[in-house]
Amino acid sequence: MTKAITRRSFLGTTAVASIAALAPLRASAASGELSVWKFGGTPTEVEQWAARNEAFAAANPDIELNYSYFNGQIRRQKILAGFQTNRLADVIVAFGQDIPEFVGFGMVQPLDDIAGDRIDGWKERVVPEVLESGMHEGKLYGLPTYVDMASFLAVNLDALEEAGFDRPPATWEELREYARAMTKPDRPGIAFPATTAPVDINIFEGIAYANGGRIYDEETNKVTLNDPGVVDALQLYVDLIADGSTPQATSLTETFFRDTAQLFGQGRSAMWIGLSWLNTPWGVNDDVRWTGVPFPRPETPTGSFDPVAAIMDPTAILMVSSRAENPEAAVEYLDFWSQDAQLEIWGGQPEVARIPAGKAAWDNAELAETWPKWVEAYEAGTLFEGAAPMPRFIGVSAIEAALGTAIQEAVLGQKTPQQALDDATSAAQTQIDLIRG
Amino acid sequence: MRHDRLLAYAMILPVVAAVLAFVVGPTYNVATLSLTKVVMGMERGFGTFDNFRALTADPVFWLVMKNTAIWILGGTVLCVTVGLAVGTFLALDSRLTGWLRALILLPWVIPDVVTAMAWKWMLHGQVGIIGQTLQDTGLTDRPISFLGDPQLVMWTLVVVLIWRKMPLVALILCAAIRSVPDDQLEAARMDGANAWERFRFVTIPNIAFSLTAVTVISMIWITAEFALPWIMTGGGPANASQIMATYIYQQSFEFFNWGVASAMSVINLLMLVSIVALYLYINRRSWASEGSQ
Repeated sequence: MTKAITRRSFLGTTAVASIAALAPLRASAASGELSVWKFGGTPTEVEQWAARNEAFAAANPDIELNYSYFNGQIRRQKILAGFQTNRLADVIVAFGQDIPEFVGFGMVQPLDDIAGDRIDGWKERVVPEVLESGMHEGKLYGLPTYVDMASFLAVNLDALEEAGFDRPPATWEELREYARAMTKPDRPGIAFPATTAPVDINIFEGIAYANGGRIYDEETNKVTLNDPGVVDALQLYVDLIADGSTPQATSLTETFFRDTAQLFGQGRSAMWIGLSWLNTPWGVNDDVRWTGVPFPRPETPTGSFDPVAAIMDPTAILMVSSRAENPEAAVEYLDFWSQDAQLEIWGGQPEVARIPAGKAAWDNAELAETWPKWVEAYEAGTLFEGAAPMPRFIGVSAIEAALGTAIQEAVLGQKTPQQALDDATSAAQTQIDLIRG
Repeated sequence: MRHDRLLAYAMILPVVAAVLAFVVGPTYNVATLSLTKVVMGMERGFGTFDNFRALTADPVFWLVMKNTAIWILGGTVLCVTVGLAVGTFLALDSRLTGWLRALILLPWVIPDVVTAMAWKWMLHGQVGIIGQTLQDTGLTDRPISFLGDPQLVMWTLVVVLIWRKMPLVALILCAAIRSVPDDQLEAARMDGANAWERFRFVTIPNIAFSLTAVTVISMIWITAEFALPWIMTGGGPANASQIMATYIYQQSFEFFNWGVASAMSVINLLMLVSIVALYLYINRRSWASEGSQ
């Protein structure tokens, strides 16, 4: 028995077959598996990120999201191992300081090449100075969700008033005077973290850059750790210790930023030096009244470079791996995180620890309530005025490690700041020459 | 006969393959990488000693060598000595030692990260219970920063290491001591040997094989230990606790300086092989006699 093929049945069958064949192609624009690795973040942020991922999954049922969270300290090891073994995630949420090295090693790809039509929307929704922090050599490599800035000072208001002051210190000289006056036998006037943790080093860099120092000059390929701007900033640390205003020097070198924040939160130090988030991720005891202000400025900057108002880095910036098997889905994910609904997480709903990237986030009352001065400055267009990126270049970790050692040597009194930074410059230059060839 | 030989080869084949894949292969890779110039993560030419030259010119490397000697030799000697003392005590028959033999394994079963974090906080200069207790009891004027003081940090790490590694050494030696023949000890006693003499001239020769084995194993464990020093100090302060394991990690994963890291791994391997070979050579008699029993 044969069955005749009619024109109608032929056309109908062909149409169904064509739809079936083309359907996967059309859906492949945003479908399939998508792996995401996120590194670091405050407890609230980590919780929120996972919750919003569920919203992404619901809105993109064809994308199978495979999300993993890791401690920020292991990000370089994890990413490097993933790259070497061809198991790197499609999307990496890491630090802006990593971009030059990741680009240099071919680990991430420019978003201009894969997200061209989405970037206009990002520009509309993201603060330009913050979006700029995702750029490297004229190309956009990452979508920032917020930035952290350095350096800031947390001040215990009761201790301030007790010592007879009506405003926080504004200059380095005032800082030493305030710290001495606020010191009690059981409570140092000021504490600063001096371990080799990258954040502790970033905190110091904020002070040195504001004094016209730099750690590396890309134009000459020279390490500049012994620039007067850096040396004098380290001298300030040493002076604060010599004044008797800090905990024991040996204790500073074992207490990193989070522990220092907690000691301040418990009323065990009158001031502490940190990044822009200060105590907001961890809070303070109910009986501790406090405020956060930009770190005091030197009376006359002594560095060889232009003093900056602050240094900043996006510490949750979304990058797309160069080996992403599904770049369409990766771009969809980045676009999702560029939406106001997601960026508002850092506008005080519920996270107040960061400087938000989303323009809309700045309208939130919660942010204005916690950081009125920031919002004022943002609205006046001066918040990012004079700010520079945190150090970022190939070999940055080697120089920062040498700087960390120099800070500890000076703090412990093993060497003068000048000697410690001269030695660090020499050691870091050798490392840089090896790494950069 | 020929069939048996083939069967024997077939049965050891998986082990040989595993050793080749997981030991010989990576060792070969590291050795070749140590002789390769690596620039910006890319291999740029094999057959250079640049990485070794860079290491010898690095002042931190010599500090690392000194710290590593304290870590490995100090750690091993103290771990085995304390383990022998504790093992000797545990070998005594009593209800207390019966309980202690089980309890002593607790430090061994706690994960490295938990151990490191707990000790880090107990030893902290501002909030640590140990420094606070020393101050409260009048033994010190002010709390001591065990991990922040460059003079103390390395030996403090060794103490924590011993706390962590010693229990298993003690148990192995305890088992060896308990297997010493009673008739030999009794004969020595009848000949007028006191307790120390019985221990020195009867017990020690009998446990020499176990003692050698745990010494070599401890040395390897301690050389490979990374989490404890890295989490507790990160190599600080001012590199005062930087050892081979942590410096190799820093060069590899923080600086992406894989050539230098590989050169250091090769030196580390040669050092360990030399120490173990020397130790085995010195103890060759006890090793050979016990092994043949």
